Parts: sequence; C-alpha cells; structure tokens
Amino acid sequence: MAAPMELSCWGGDWGLPSLHPESLTVMAYAKFSGAPLTVNTINNSWRTPKGDVPVLISEDTVISQPAKILNFLRKQKYNADYELSAKQGADTLAYIALLEEKLLPALLHTFWVEAENYCSVTKPWFASRIPFPLSLYLPGKMSREALNRILLTKGGPPLYSLTEVEAQIYRDAKECLNLLSKRLGTSQFFFGNTPTTLDAFVFGFLAPVYKVCFPRVQLQEHLKQLPNLCRFCDDILTCYFRLTVSDG
Amino acid sequence: MSLVAEAFMNQLAAAEPWPENAALYQQLKEDQILLSDNASSLAVQAFLQMCNLPVRVVCRANAEYMSPSGKVPFIHVGNQVVSELGPIVQFVKAKGHSLSDGLDEVQKAEMKAYMELVNNMLLTAELYLQWCDDVTVEEITHPRYGSPYPWPLNRILAYQKQWEIRRKMKAIGWAGKSLEQVLEDVDQCCQALSQRLGTQPYFFNKQPTELDALVFGHLFTILTTQLTTDELSEKVKNYGNLTAFCRRIEQQYFEGHDKDNSGTAAARSAKRSLLR
Repeated sequence: MAAPMELSCWGGDWGLPSLHPESLTVMAYAKFSGAPLTVNTINNSWRTPKGDVPVLISEDTVISQPAKILNFLRKQKYNADYELSAKQGADTLAYIALLEEKLLPALLHTFWVEAENYCSVTKPWFASRIPFPLSLYLPGKMSREALNRILLTKGGPPLYSLTEVEAQIYRDAKECLNLLSKRLGTSQFFFGNTPTTLDAFVFGFLAPVYKVCFPRVQLQEHLKQLPNLCRFCDDILTCYFRLTVSDG
Repeated sequence: MSLVAEAFMNQLAAAEPWPENAALYQQLKEDQILLSDNASSLAVQAFLQMCNLPVRVVCRANAEYMSPSGKVPFIHVGNQVVSELGPIVQFVKAKGHSLSDGLDEVQKAEMKAYMELVNNMLLTAELYLQWCDDVTVEEITHPRYGSPYPWPLNRILAYQKQWEIRRKMKAIGWAGKSLEQVLEDVDQCCQALSQRLGTQPYFFNKQPTELDALVFGHLFTILTTQLTTDELSEKVKNYGNLTAFCRRIEQQYFEGHDKDNSGTAAARSAKRSLLR
C-alpha cells in the first residue's frame, strides 16, 4: 500500500466539502479513484498554507497544483481514467482547457472581485479560517491576484473598462456552461457511468457556483437553468461525499 | 464589445459581400514577425483559404499598433477591421460563410474545447519560449521585435513587450515553469491533438473547420521556424499524423498560390521543406 497521504486544503460550507475549486477537484478525484487521503482543512491554527493550496504531502514529497497532484495519484495506481480511450483522454485535456479559459475568470470574479460578494461572503469566510494577523492581509491579496489575472488575460483592448471585461467574461462563462450541458446530455458522467478526471474538474468548478449563497448570483442563476449540470453536481455530492442535498 | 455593438456590427457585416480587395495585416515577414504571431496569422490565412475567400497579405512594421485589439493578424474588409481568429470567424459567419455549420451541438462544443486547448497550451508555450527563455530572448526575440526601429526605440519596445508578457505568465502560473516543463506541456497537447485526429484527414472527418486552420497555423509554424534549439519542433515531429496533416493542408490550400505576385506568406514559407 502506498504511504499515507495528507491533503491540506480549504474547508467547506453550504453543503460542499470545500469552497475552493482546486481543492474540490482534488478531493473529488480522490473519491473517484479510491485514493485514501486524509483531508486536513485549513483552520484557525498556525499551520498556515505556504503558497499554493491544495497541497498533498506524502512522506517527504510535497506537491502543489491540482494537475500535478492528480498525476502523482495516478502514478500511485489511483487512476480514475483507467477505462478511457485515447481520444477520450484527449477530450479531457481539451475540456479542462475550456474550463480554465472560459469559466475560471467568471468564477474568480464572482468570488473575489464582485464587491458585494467579496465583502459579505468571501472575505469573512476565508478570514475566519486564517489566523490573525494574516487574516487581515491574505484575503485582500487573493482578491488582488484574482483581479490581476482577469485583467491580464481578458482585459486588453478593445475592452477598456472593467464593466466591459466583466460583461465579456460572464458571457464566455455562460457559453461554457451551455457547452458543458450539451456535452453532458443525459448521461450520468461525462464519459459513461463512471466518473473520471474531467468529472472531477467540472465538479470542482461548478459546485461552488451552484451552492454558495452570494448576493450577486448571475452565474448561479444561469447554471440553475441547466438541470443536467445541477443533477450532475448533486449526484456527486450524495454518492461520493455523503452530504445531503438539502444542506445549504 | 457590448451585445448591442456586436449585433450592430454583425448587421453591417452581413450587408455586403466579401470584397476583392480584402487585406490581412501582419508584421514584416522576413525580419520582424515572431513565432506566435506568425502562427496566429497563418491560422487566419488558412481559415480564409478554406472558406474560399480571397485575401492579400500586407506586411507592416506597426501592424500590432494598427490592430483594434493590439494583436495580429487583423483583416481589413470593406470598411471594417477585425482582429484575431475568434472574431474573424464570427465576422465571416455573419457574411454567410461558415466551416462548422455541419457539426452538431456536441461536436461544436468539442471543437471549441480543442481550440481553447491550442490557445491555452500551444500559444502560451510559444509565448513562454519567445519571451521568458533567456537564450531565445537574447538571440532571436529582441533583435527581431524591434528591427524596424532605430536604437534606442527598438530596445525600449522589446523590453516593454517582454515585461507585459512576463506579467501575464506570472498571473497564470507559468512563470515558475522551467523550459522542460513547458516542452512537456507541448508534448501533452500534441499527443491530445494526435489522438483526436487519429487517421482522419481533418479533425471532424471530411471537412476542415476553424480548428484545423488553428492547429495547422501553430504546428506548421513550429515545424518550419528556426529557433535556438530544435526541441520544440521535435516534440511535434514525434507525431506522424500531425506532420502529415500539416503537409496535406499546405498542399491543398497554399500550393496553388505560388504563381501570385504578392504570394501569400504561407506560400513563401511553404518553400521551406517540412522534412528537415
């Protein structure tokens, strides 16, 4: 058996095991592939995250990004993509790129940039889980990094103001959700009846949008009009995380 | 642009047929243009060829500044200017030409996903190689980028662009990557494209789509551009069906234009052998 593995990530609320898309992706993949991970949610102790979260620690190896963590799990023989064909593996990579390019900016915006959401939900939630005095600084830093990323990747001319950029990224995100919904169709998971890496990534990105109660929710409202994606998230939560749908 | 402006532009676009004097602007082919811009330009040229829409390529040193979005290439059609492959595909569609109409919804979703994959991995890797790898920056990028301008403007412009690109790389998490990791990503991307293409002539079997144009633009440019090392083109050459794909599109859509006086940029570069 492999050495014990520990995952350090942000905790959850509103019926989710984690609020952070990348942490959620890793947790979902671990459940799908049967990897025995001990999940340590970051709480108000002094073992603060050094750098990127989520972080996987196994014996002496410390691995930090979701793609690298998933690779490591696969090498330890916890492979959820075992039955995929080569073409399906290629599709996985393409759809993950689509999520990162089209959906992630809007997700970051909803959590970290939209003023009402950030001040009333995101900042208090994260600050309550980071020890003082870092709690005064870290959420602000995460917010600035999110805005920076959005502006640098999506903000060039001919979009000159933040409102134009916002309009564009939400339009892209809604189109991405529509595409995902069409691709999923009526199947239970993206590649048949067993969940794979792609399901983990889509779940990681969609579940926070779906479940977290924000004051400004245009993306969530759009998602709720796509019942197959909502059903997809609920199924994974009930089957793999044993959390009841009625939470939050 | 806002929804209203977009709808208005689409209506304007639909009003006129494709003119004979449509022009595509890019930087100077021989001395100035860089790998990533050349790839984007070739992708648009391939797309327009596949739609059977004539366009002549005009090389200008300040193409980047003329472009409405700051990126090349851009096309000047009638009295409208549209830049980058995505908006150009929309514009051409408004005029009634489309390569992807025959695809069903799931295939269209797949096509968009693969186009994002190419932009996310291949284009970013090209930008990384050009602007974040010190050897390439010293020997190729800086001399080429500022070549039409006198000193010190050439150095200033090059440093300004480099700073901008490095900021972007840092924001998306690529600044910490080493060259080997970037080449690994390119390999992964090529593997995915190769597996998706399989033994078919085009990505969606019989007819080429904008995805084929985009992949051709990037892969052909990688295969035929001389850099400080051959590692990037070696990654692509590992996949025989991808090199065959490039050769097929080159022969079908670019060879016939060798006779033109202006000659498309691709036709001139087609003279460089794909098999080195």
